[in-house]
Amino acid sequence: MAPSSARQIGTVVKYELLKYLRGRRLLAIVLLTIIISSIFLIVPPAIGTQYEKDPKEFIGQMLGFLGILSILSATFFGADAIVSEFESKTGFLLFPNPIRKEVIFGGKFIASALVSVGTIALYYAIAITSVRVIDGSIPANTGLSFAYALAYLFAILAISYLFSAIMSSSVYSLILTFFSFFLILPIVDAVGSIAKFKPWFSITFAAGIATYIFDIPYPTDKAFTTTTGPQAASGASQTLSLTQYYPEVQLSLYVMGAYFIVALILSVLLMRRRQM
Amino acid sequence: MTDPIVIERLSKEYGQYVALNDLSLRIEKGVCVGYLGPNGAGKTTTIKILTNLLRATSGRAYLNGEDVINHPKSALDHVGAVVETPEFYPQLTPRECLSYIGTIRGMKSSAVAERTHAVLEQVKLLEVVDNRTRTFSKGMKQRLAIAQALLHEPAVLILDEPTSGLDPRGMVEVRDMIKELKKTDITILMSSHLLNEVQEVCDKVAIIDRGTLLTYDSVQHLSATKGTTVVINTLNPITAAEFRAVKALRGVRALKRIETLTLVAQLDGGTKEQFTVLRGILATGVKVTSFIPRRGAIEDVYLSLIPEGEF
Repeated sequence: MAPSSARQIGTVVKYELLKYLRGRRLLAIVLLTIIISSIFLIVPPAIGTQYEKDPKEFIGQMLGFLGILSILSATFFGADAIVSEFESKTGFLLFPNPIRKEVIFGGKFIASALVSVGTIALYYAIAITSVRVIDGSIPANTGLSFAYALAYLFAILAISYLFSAIMSSSVYSLILTFFSFFLILPIVDAVGSIAKFKPWFSITFAAGIATYIFDIPYPTDKAFTTTTGPQAASGASQTLSLTQYYPEVQLSLYVMGAYFIVALILSVLLMRRRQM
Repeated sequence: MTDPIVIERLSKEYGQYVALNDLSLRIEKGVCVGYLGPNGAGKTTTIKILTNLLRATSGRAYLNGEDVINHPKSALDHVGAVVETPEFYPQLTPRECLSYIGTIRGMKSSAVAERTHAVLEQVKLLEVVDNRTRTFSKGMKQRLAIAQALLHEPAVLILDEPTSGLDPRGMVEVRDMIKELKKTDITILMSSHLLNEVQEVCDKVAIIDRGTLLTYDSVQHLSATKGTTVVINTLNPITAAEFRAVKALRGVRALKRIETLTLVAQLDGGTKEQFTVLRGILATGVKVTSFIPRRGAIEDVYLSLIPEGEF
């Protein structure tokens, strides 16, 4: 007799992790994490400059790459998790068994969340160790920053599953996931600064709380002007009025939570309805 | 007692296209059924609904008495299936693939290990048990698919063109495997395009076209009804007296000389009747060099039911 759904989820997690270990994506993301970290640690002495003295500044600079690692994790481990079962016909092997599609989904999501959290945790571990060795202290709010980074990671992972449940091709799902978070939403965030609207609803904007949390006090929105144009030096420049928006912590957590819940529910429903 | 496979008024529509039209079929325990029909007849659609890969538009389907549409988990508990040629996770080995499926099905690790050895030996993949499946040919994947379907010793086996992708030796081996399985209590539903294969392996035949069941009968009964055409080659030219003697044999419906040393006979019944007629021919003194059934009864029935031009 088929075991309980909880035991079946455990089985799916185990074999998904085994697939990650045998595949190249896990190796790729670990290498990227190490390479990105190494850049911060190797380049300053290599070009004869000193490390940032302020621990907050140092860790803030390192965590500037947190976004790209989160996006790559979601792309590598979430973007084709569902669609590949249908596209590559492995679903013909898995689905005719006494296992609910929700259980398969749950197992896959947990496995991808585990490796993604592992990636982010590794990056934080390297950053914390580095700042401790170089500056002798760990900045306040590092734990909160990690928690916010995980909130962002879970939200974009859920959205990547949603893309995976919608799209008919793994390649399209991978491209859509990567470019949505790496290009499209950041453009929306930048336009907000010019058009004077706060993109509080944008998940990439909300993700900023993971690095801004090191600023004490926490920054608030501020307007400023800048001069632009080819004749700026000759006085024929244009003055551009911009606003630097900062995500509010509580609202951003709600936004990320909402994305996570809605995307996850929709993904499960779409996977249940999807037919081979 | 409930029949292991019960399909009641099953329909599947894709917009205007009707893939299954009010299909009903009841398959008894321990019977091997060949599921035949031209391309697009609804064979794979039926199998996909039975294995929870597709949702029916209306109707019901039961496996071992469990409603597969509303309770797929319990319905598929004692069912093994090969649908199309499934792909395997390229990162995993056959041992790991079978362990994955076995654990999902609730098999103990010792049972999984024991059955993995047995089924991989059965499908002749034991030598590659620890090789990654990414290097496997289509035939090897098909064998592995059959192995995973047999892993938990299912009461019902559903096979969608099980010899597809196999070389001639592989096809024979799979047929022999199915014949061996028939010695147990297992119920088999097997779709195929190969009519001779179905005639050789199956006890009963269900023929569908345009989503509608055209006939469901035993191979023996169909053979007895339709008879068999046999090509007889002789060592010497047959004499007029010998010709009359053969034609007069019981079971011979018609006899025609098509070449000096070749006759074509239309016989009643199936293999038993063929044996009786062959013995009778030999008794008349005709030196028979070969006695070959030209076309099976199933083929005759199929061609009479499926309109020309359908593939």
